[in-house]
Order: sequence, then C-alpha cells, then structure tokens
Amino acid sequence: MDDFLTVIALIISVNAVICLYRAAVGPTTQDRVLGVNIVGTKTLVVVILVTYILAENFFLDVAFVYALLLFVVTVALSRYLEAEGWKEAA
Amino acid sequence: MAKNIVAGAFCCIGTFFFILGTTGLLRMPDVFTRLHPSTKCDTLGACSVIIGMAVYGGWSWELPKLIVIACFLLLSSATCGHAIGRSALRRDIPYWRKDTGEVKGGDGS
Repeated sequence: MDDFLTVIALIISVNAVICLYRAAVGPTTQDRVLGVNIVGTKTLVVVILVTYILAENFFLDVAFVYALLLFVVTVALSRYLEAEGWKEAA
Repeated sequence: MAKNIVAGAFCCIGTFFFILGTTGLLRMPDVFTRLHPSTKCDTLGACSVIIGMAVYGGWSWELPKLIVIACFLLLSSATCGHAIGRSALRRDIPYWRKDTGEVKGGDGS
C-alpha cells in the first residue's frame, strides 16, 4: 500500500509541475493566481499522502496550516488585484 | 484488505480528477472557463484523496483533522474561485466568445 500511495503522490506532483506552466506564462495576472492556487492544493494533498507513507502524525498539522495559508493568500491577492487604479503589467 | 481497496479506489478517483483539472487549466481559452476545471480539481480531487486517506487510517486521532481539512477545502475552494472570478470581472479581463472563437474585450464588443 505504501508503494501505491507513493505512485499516487508522484503523479500528483508531476501534475503540479505541469500547472506551473499556467502560473508562468498566463496572459493575465488572475491566471497566475489561479495556477498558484492549484499548485498549492496539490501540494496539500501530497503532504497528506506523505503523512500516511511515512506514518508521521505531525504532517497533518502542516497540511492544515497550509490549507489556511492558501486560502488567505488567494483571497488577499484577489482583493488586491480588484482595487481601483491597478494596471495590468505588460 | 477491503479497507485498502476502498482507499485505493478513492485515491484513483482523486488522481483522475487532478489530471482532468490540469488538462482543463492548460487547454481552456480564458480566465472564466479556467476557473471551472480548477474548482472541480480542488473539491472533487482533493476531497476524494482525503476521504481515501481517512478510510485507510481508520479510527484514530487523525480522522477529525482530515474531516476538518476536507470541510475547509470545500468552503475555501469555492470562495477562492469566486474571488478570482470577481477580480477578473471588475478589471475587465477579455473573455472568450463562442461564435467568433476569439478572446474579446470585456465590454461585450
């Protein structure tokens, strides 16, 4: 079962690296925020899988704080981009 | 043994939706359509893997933490998608028109 979970974690990690493409070349800044959000969610799931692969309980607390930070980062960036007078960087 | 099979099935469902979300994020034409597969990836994919891990771990002190993380993901993913979509709408980001197949200006022109 540990090997199976490792394979799942590897597949999700490769997916996260592919999602970095949208964060790097996204035409608008909102695309970049969206790509970073997806990469963060996949990292969260990989941390939860690592908890059970290594049988270390404290990684779940890391995952929980990661979920909270991801939410705050995305909402704060969106509110910042929404403000008046902000211009799209070329 | 049955526990491992159920956990593996949930993990496979989650990985399938993660691959689906990645494909949608790369292939969709503009921000508003990219929001759709990305929120599916968050809710269905991540929550399926978390449910699978909850089944695999069984009755332990990790179970309530996993349930809290899953419920928080269900709430926060929808809120993040709404925040990004609203910021894109307020900043007049160009959107995709089906009839022309091009990414046009935000004022409907």
